[in-house]
Amino acid sequence: MAEQYSTPAKLVLEDGTCFEGWACGAAGESAGEVCFNTSLTGYQEVISDPSYAGQIVTMTYPHIGNYGVNDADLQNDKLFLSGLVVRSMCYTPSNFRATSTLPALLEEAGIVAIEGVDTRELTRHIRDHGAMRAVISTVDLDDQSLLAKARASRSLVGRNLAGEVSHPAVEVFPALDRDGRPSATPRYRVTAVDCGLKRGILRGLQMSGCEVTRVPWDTPAQDILEREPDGVFFSNGPGDPEPVETTYQTVRELVGVKPIFGICLGHQMITLAAGGAIEKLPFGHHGGNQPVMNLRTGVVEITSQNHGFGQVFSSMGPIVPELSGGESSHHDDLRFWSERRIAPVVNNERYGRIQLTHVNLNDGTAEGMAFLDQPVFSVQYHPEASPGPSDASYLFEAFCRLMDGRSDFLDINTTGNRMEREYLSSSSILAKEAR
Amino acid sequence: MPRRDDIKKILLIGSGPIVIGQACEFDYSGTQACKVLMEDGYEVVLVNSNPATIMTDPAVATRTYVEPITPEFLKRIIEIEKPDALLPNMGGQTGLNSAVELAKSGYLAEHGVELIGCSLDAIERGEDRKRFIETIEGIGLHCARSGYAYSVADAEKIASELGFPVVLRPSFTMGGAGGGIAYNIQELRDIVAQGLDLSPENEVLVEESIIGWKEYEMEVMRDKAGNGIVVCSIENFDAMGVHTGDSVTVAPAQTLTDVEYQHMRTASLAILEAVGVETGGSNVQFAVNPKDGRLIVIEMNPRVSRSSALASKATGFPIAKAAAKLAVGYTLDEIVNDITKATPACFEPSIDYVVVKVPRFTFAKFHGTDETLTTRMKSVGEAMAIGRTFDEALGKAMRSLENGRAGLGADGKDSFDDTHFKTKLTTPTEERIYYMAEALRRGYGVDEVSRLTGVDPWFVGRLQHIVDVEHLVSLKRLPGLTRQDLRLAKETGLSDVQIAYLTGSDEKSVRARRKELGVVPTFKTVDTCAAEFQARTSYHYKTYEGTESEIKPCDKPKAMILGAGPNRIGQGIEFDYCCVHAAYALHDMGYETIMVNCNPETVSTDYDTSDRLYFEPLTYEDVMDIVDVEHPDGVVVTLGGQTPLKLAQSLEDEGVTIMGTKPAAIDLAEDRDKFSALLDDLKIAYPASGVANDPDEAKAVAARIGYPLLVRPSYVLGGRGMVIAYDEAYLMKHLTEAAQVTPDHPVYLDSFLEDAIECDVDALCDGTEVYVGSILEHIEEAGIHSGDSACCTPPFTFSTRLVNALRECTRKLALAVGTVGLVNVQFAIKDMTIYVIEVNPRASRTVPFGSKATGVPLAKCAARIMAGEKIADLHLPPEDRTLDHYSVKEAVMPFGRFPGADVILGPEMKSTGEVMGIANDFPAAYAKAELAIDYSLPTGGTAFISVNDDDKREVLHVARDLKNLGFSLIATEGTARALKAAGIPVEAVNKASEARPNILDRVANGEVDLIVNTPYGQETRSDGYQLRSAAVRYGICYVTTMSAANAMVLAITAAQDGRLEPHALQDLDQWEPAKPTPEEMVRK
Repeated sequence: MAEQYSTPAKLVLEDGTCFEGWACGAAGESAGEVCFNTSLTGYQEVISDPSYAGQIVTMTYPHIGNYGVNDADLQNDKLFLSGLVVRSMCYTPSNFRATSTLPALLEEAGIVAIEGVDTRELTRHIRDHGAMRAVISTVDLDDQSLLAKARASRSLVGRNLAGEVSHPAVEVFPALDRDGRPSATPRYRVTAVDCGLKRGILRGLQMSGCEVTRVPWDTPAQDILEREPDGVFFSNGPGDPEPVETTYQTVRELVGVKPIFGICLGHQMITLAAGGAIEKLPFGHHGGNQPVMNLRTGVVEITSQNHGFGQVFSSMGPIVPELSGGESSHHDDLRFWSERRIAPVVNNERYGRIQLTHVNLNDGTAEGMAFLDQPVFSVQYHPEASPGPSDASYLFEAFCRLMDGRSDFLDINTTGNRMEREYLSSSSILAKEAR
Repeated sequence: MPRRDDIKKILLIGSGPIVIGQACEFDYSGTQACKVLMEDGYEVVLVNSNPATIMTDPAVATRTYVEPITPEFLKRIIEIEKPDALLPNMGGQTGLNSAVELAKSGYLAEHGVELIGCSLDAIERGEDRKRFIETIEGIGLHCARSGYAYSVADAEKIASELGFPVVLRPSFTMGGAGGGIAYNIQELRDIVAQGLDLSPENEVLVEESIIGWKEYEMEVMRDKAGNGIVVCSIENFDAMGVHTGDSVTVAPAQTLTDVEYQHMRTASLAILEAVGVETGGSNVQFAVNPKDGRLIVIEMNPRVSRSSALASKATGFPIAKAAAKLAVGYTLDEIVNDITKATPACFEPSIDYVVVKVPRFTFAKFHGTDETLTTRMKSVGEAMAIGRTFDEALGKAMRSLENGRAGLGADGKDSFDDTHFKTKLTTPTEERIYYMAEALRRGYGVDEVSRLTGVDPWFVGRLQHIVDVEHLVSLKRLPGLTRQDLRLAKETGLSDVQIAYLTGSDEKSVRARRKELGVVPTFKTVDTCAAEFQARTSYHYKTYEGTESEIKPCDKPKAMILGAGPNRIGQGIEFDYCCVHAAYALHDMGYETIMVNCNPETVSTDYDTSDRLYFEPLTYEDVMDIVDVEHPDGVVVTLGGQTPLKLAQSLEDEGVTIMGTKPAAIDLAEDRDKFSALLDDLKIAYPASGVANDPDEAKAVAARIGYPLLVRPSYVLGGRGMVIAYDEAYLMKHLTEAAQVTPDHPVYLDSFLEDAIECDVDALCDGTEVYVGSILEHIEEAGIHSGDSACCTPPFTFSTRLVNALRECTRKLALAVGTVGLVNVQFAIKDMTIYVIEVNPRASRTVPFGSKATGVPLAKCAARIMAGEKIADLHLPPEDRTLDHYSVKEAVMPFGRFPGADVILGPEMKSTGEVMGIANDFPAAYAKAELAIDYSLPTGGTAFISVNDDDKREVLHVARDLKNLGFSLIATEGTARALKAAGIPVEAVNKASEARPNILDRVANGEVDLIVNTPYGQETRSDGYQLRSAAVRYGICYVTTMSAANAMVLAITAAQDGRLEPHALQDLDQWEPAKPTPEEMVRK
């Protein structure tokens, strides 16, 4: 592969901002929406997360690639991101788990990457001016030409990227016991609708005792029901949820029929199914340090997040004062509720009472909801982390409780002994490797 | 959950004097805690014996007791103040241990004092290895295999099961004191014997060695709702085996995959839960086997620590402040992130830079001690640096150390031991990192260096990159370096001095060339969130990257304060105290204050001490880079000790306005010839002196002024390399072996005034008027470095006439030198004559002590004078007023950490810290100071006396007094004869060099309670040396001068009389300079 600092590369944003650097991945050119991720570890999970399809990811931590790459930590067998921007790429990693280097992985996967960029300046730029389209190139270094290409590139809005990243084939994954061994007698059978399903989620479901049947994003409800699952899961996925209509129509057909759990794009699918609105966030949430309060327990989880679009909670229906601490109006900043430790309930036209269960404490956006009249709940963030803290891994257990028909499915005490639930998190990979 | 209203008054225990392993990080955390609790409306009662702290400023707490941290004093203070709660985890191990002692005895419960933040049970579970290991195993995690030894035989048995090497950890000691690694049975016996003795529980843990594993620390916080966050992860550059305080450390962790990191994170939080830390910050240490990732829990500290101070500075997250709020009932989500003002403290900081901490050692002061780094901490300070890459941060950290180096070698000062080159790589020492770089230069590969040192290949790889860039630079001359070359060099962390050396140029030319080519730094912000949110505070670092600087414009006049850099012996927390006061005072006057410092332990590097904080090395290059972007209206160089003072001239040469005393005046005071001429003009006496450029000249000077001579190198701090020569043979030996005198480095030879009484005077001068703040009478005679000498203010033996004469002399000198701000004068008084030893045109280390003793905040006043105010404007109390209390300062020595080095006091400073005792009379104040250091005073038992011939007459009354106080006396033959002749009953014992049983056996058997031993001249590895070493080892109170013996007798008397009542500073007269009037406020 190419040597470090041997091939110049350039990143040009649609507003004309230009960064020079060196190629540190595949040669070529790629366009996408540039976003930043603030995780200190977990670059491998980030780049292999299908939710980054169509995006050029900027890592804010400057040294990337330090511990190399390995197969176990990949979140998908293919990389879908449009490009990677880092300050300093490591070509000589050090970690006993490493089987290759990050630049080699990028090159093999054909992902264009650039290093030597002042990623802080770039991040501040995106923060202040919003996410925007950009082009990375190792073949064309002309600012004007790249600017024109950036402006000509397709926006994320209105594109159905889930369809591009979903596995076309149906596959069954066994339930796993606490040591990660396949279990002959699964506690639950779950159908997971793959809009860009991360392996971390799959593993979380398996470790919590679910045999998982992964089906493509556009699988009709009838096909799902024919499998007679105990529950249906709607996965994370890239980009704009609006065009993924087939999937949220499927949700509509399943609500009230099967217990449903959604993560990230899955949460947005359920929102759209309920007639709620989605907005594009200025620069999204991408990182592993977002504080989210579970309004039903009052405990704060440090969460992993990756989304550029979010639910507008007030669009879900009018507030039900008697179930919302006597408050009768919506508040744009949902920290109004977390400060009062109230989990407000709205009356949704289609599905009845819906409770806001999780709020982001950084910006007061909605992070999770539970239907009170149907067995449905969903979160905007990532309980499987991968990468990130495993504080929210209890949500896999919550899904199991939901399938058991329990109404207290979200009221799980996560403090006290965090090691107890570690088997649900990605760190359980280590125990398996040690075995 | 809001704050608790059921408690009103909270007791906080500080960490006492600065010692190795417990330094000013606890001033930082304690100050934060006091401030935040006071802001929240609580009354705070503070106990701390260390006067050089910001936390003991009277305004920081409601009631401040500068008193010994002993159970007796704490109980007395609890009786007086009746606090509702005790916050135990802000004052290091000392604070924690004291709280445990009070809680365990039931005293707290009896007096209705609640332990908040951390229960007794949790503290014990965290600190007691046995319970800790059970707890860890109980949640499915692992500690190293181990067993407890209560005797050397136990230890041998356990070691035989585990196999050598084994790690030894005495229970309940601070900073790993008494611990170590034993590679063989002899080492095992030695370390265990000492460890059993040091452990309050007489218990030593013998543990499987995990030397060579990777070491990590997690800084964790938890609130009472059970929310937990990891503030920062730290990876040690040095592998396991080196105390983390002595390791180069890096934040965040660099070589862990996310699954490994998250496992460690979950484990950290689970450990806090299992140990039962209810609220607050803790530190959890881990070892990871680099071969298979096996994770071992090393230990956890249920309190703020050195690492939490580092983590706070590294991330911008104020751990101590948050911990204090959590202890009074808040939850993490209720605390606002100070930096963003828009997001909660319940999150995990993300950083977009690399932080490197490098320890600062002072082995040169402790000849004869083993310099190998072990699990027992030996460093006295640390420097931290921030860069966008590890390379850049490391380079900055290495040039922050104030050790004369301009980076990681390649600065013209490298010198390597070629014969033992490989040993130098395999043995962890202060200098090993330089050897690692050199090995890479010599063609050892990354893998080889990693294998020999145990340092992770990732770090070694970065060093390889640094030396590669060095090599690239060295291939060219300065004019040949392109813009790209220079950028690469700067991005990689090379200093201008290094580039100058590599290209055969000089620093100023490199700087000029750099600027000509546009290779200038940008300044970024520490914001806790990797730029995700806007930062409201101005905490900056420099980097060579991009084009965007984040410096906010400002229309106020700007004052820049240069700090003191890493703590080391001779320059410690006292100077940080002065800088912090200046920041407060100048801010109040209307300045935008800019702090520059690189010491993460300090209050000065707290982002809310000054308006802007630059975490940068205090070198010409780094300071000028900040000057170039901030254009300060004035720079304060006289409050941070010698470090900023050295920069004064070169800054002024660049057109920078120096506030207060000008560089020319500094030079006048520091240049011996000019200064002598000035003293001659003023008709002020000073010891005869001369300068020598070589040994022969020294001989000639000695012939002229006579022996004994005080010999010192030029421009030194803390008396580095100073000795007293009683004869020519010693002088020649010293000059040829130790001092290496050359025309570039001449030595000064002063007539040594034997038996003179020394005193320090700290004064303010505004150019026309002088205000003498304090006169400190030293207890020890001349010849002991003033930093190591105990002193008392007001003077307890000086006549009014002498005091007036000292004031007059100080006045004349301050004006003649041209000081504006603080000035310190050292006098020696002999045969009724006042001699001037030296004038320091800057804040001295006694300023905080003097300020507390007199109630006049001298540093604050000095800052205002430097900003143009007159002394008259400050409305200070009359300098000749009578104080109704005496204050004693006593130095704290680190000898226990440096076995092998002589423990004798001399002209070279060796103390790490100081304590203060306040009482209505001198003996009681002295007794308190001694108690503050040793935590107990000998009040009876056996006193051993052995003095040199000159002291045999004076020792008689000391001996008689000790006898009257109830001591039985033993003495070596000569001294015993003198005592018997005077009719004082005494038992003679053999000297250490004589037949056994001798005095060493008596000491070892615990049969001696007090040792009075005065050495003669330059004795070294003598009887006295062995005796004093034994005293340190067994923790026996000892004095090495007659004056200290006299003071000790008085102190014991005062203690026996029960005259040691606690005093709150708030009950003593306190003066604040009058607030600046609107006309006095500065404007642009």
